Amino acid sequence: MANPRGATGTVEFVNTTDSANVPLLDVSDVTVKFGGIVALDGLSFSIDRGTICGLIGPNGAGKTTMFNVVSRIYEPTSGTVKYEGRDLLAVPAHGIAHLGIARTFQNLALFPTMTLLENVMVGAHSQGSVGVWRAIARIGAARENRRIRDWSGDLLAQLGLARFAHVPAAGLPFGTLKRLEIARALAARPRFLLMDEPAAGLTHSEVDELGDTVLQIRRDFDLTVLLVEHHMSMVMRISDKVVAMEFGRKISEGTPDQVRNDPKVVAAYLGADA
Amino acid sequence: MWKIHEGSARHWMIRLLGVAVLAFVVVWIPTQMSSSRIGQVTDAFILMIAAMSLNLVLGFTGQISIGHSAFFGVGGYTAAILIKDHGWSPGYTFYVAAVVAFVVGCVVALPALRIRGIYLALVTLAVAVLFPTLVRWKKLAWLTEGSMGIDSVRYEDVPVWPILGELKGREGRAVFMFWLGLIIVIVTYLVCRGIVKSRFGRALVAIRDNETAAAVMGVNLTTTKVLVFGVSAALCALAGVLSTLKSGVITPDGQYVTLLGSIVFLLVMIVGGAGTLWGPIVGGLVYVLLDNTTRDIGTNDSGILGTLFGWADQSPATLILGLVLVIIMFAAPYGLVGLAKRLSRKVVVVIPRPAGTAKPS
Repeated sequence: MANPRGATGTVEFVNTTDSANVPLLDVSDVTVKFGGIVALDGLSFSIDRGTICGLIGPNGAGKTTMFNVVSRIYEPTSGTVKYEGRDLLAVPAHGIAHLGIARTFQNLALFPTMTLLENVMVGAHSQGSVGVWRAIARIGAARENRRIRDWSGDLLAQLGLARFAHVPAAGLPFGTLKRLEIARALAARPRFLLMDEPAAGLTHSEVDELGDTVLQIRRDFDLTVLLVEHHMSMVMRISDKVVAMEFGRKISEGTPDQVRNDPKVVAAYLGADA
Repeated sequence: MWKIHEGSARHWMIRLLGVAVLAFVVVWIPTQMSSSRIGQVTDAFILMIAAMSLNLVLGFTGQISIGHSAFFGVGGYTAAILIKDHGWSPGYTFYVAAVVAFVVGCVVALPALRIRGIYLALVTLAVAVLFPTLVRWKKLAWLTEGSMGIDSVRYEDVPVWPILGELKGREGRAVFMFWLGLIIVIVTYLVCRGIVKSRFGRALVAIRDNETAAAVMGVNLTTTKVLVFGVSAALCALAGVLSTLKSGVITPDGQYVTLLGSIVFLLVMIVGGAGTLWGPIVGGLVYVLLDNTTRDIGTNDSGILGTLFGWADQSPATLILGLVLVIIMFAAPYGLVGLAKRLSRKVVVVIPRPAGTAKPS
């Protein structure tokens, strides 16, 4: 796939798009309560177009909860989430794909009985229009299948999965399936990609490779990325901005260097006395 | 092992050969067999249609339904009422029955939006139990004629189709019902195939495999589930109409109108292969074949079978049928089609068309 900007690097994409002053995602004062437990406590942050934003924090900090709020799986108790200036909380769960938001899952949420190709084709669901009646009457169904099949095949090739295209997803190695998650998310032609711990469970060399893959797809697909990750070295390497959380609150925000050296972040990870 | 490419000349030859053999068998049955045998094949058609409809909901979408006997009954009663009370020509009742059952199916789908698995099975089970009771209800007797059921709704005179020539009497009716059944089997198959091989069908399997992920991909769970239940109910109603026209009567205790019908549909689908397009077709044929064979064996009380099963007061037919089915499920846990696929992979492998815009190297 062609590189639309013909350049590498991480910073130059900040503020280069037309409506640069409106952040792509604007989370303000979001609170999520499960019964008596406060998973998110008045969290606010924003993500600019074309950037990679890392979301870090110890286990139970509320990172995945934040994620599920943006992908409309959890309903926040209060607060607002704006995407390109519109209220995301008014959109149903199945509507976010149509807005150009895609996500990957922490513990793999693939379709095990389908082949890799079919998995990616489901990822392109929002790119098609054939419903039940047109499927029965076969109006445009074959043409749409060809188009989506080719698009999905190209994506698999780009992520180095082409030789597994016709193999069922169940039973393939974890690292392969993690890449499949990315391919499936990209199939929706997203502008905003949410990645939930993409490096979890990968080996060292796979993590390095993944970092490069994320930079590569950001460039090729003109993406904004929200990255939830434990793997500090990868987050610090590829993020333009990092948000650190603890107990459902934001404790630090800034460039990777600023966050890394923030005493509050150090304390959260190593204990209060460190 | 023999490798063939999908869409190659060789692949088309094999497909064509398959279709030719099927066509030959299909023409051979009504021309060469006795009318009682033809009737049994028509019974198999009825089961195939019902099992195909159930397969859409359960095999592909993973939503357990034990309520399909009710959809079958809705179809049968709609046809019977239209013919008896309103003097409709039987052929047109198929359309109305499908529409009525579609609406009923959509309503029954509503619980499926909130509950799943065994709980959904229980709710649909309630629908299956409720339907015959509803039909017997005194206040509905003006419509359904209560426990008596509605009779003499078969074709008075079989319509003349130029291609079949003039069909007369019992034999003629059996042959006609065979062809009518075959047409509906083909229509049902084409509907299922169209759905499964489309974006909508992929959404169904996605819901079966992982609902949350399907929603994130943009699949509207509500409309998808409601529509698939509706279409499935409509197809099942076609089986109900066919069955009513064949036997000429429908009662609340009818063969597939009670809960037992749902179980038989389930059995046919699973024995043939859930989640495969051909599973219910193979299953229907095998089930009817076994059912009739065991019934013949059951009446024969001499020889080894007499020794084995002579102690039973009643005919051991259902016992033998049950045993055979258990053995089939043991040998082919993914159904007969699943087994056939596994075995055939050792002989011939179809290599799918390459996906992607890049030229294969």
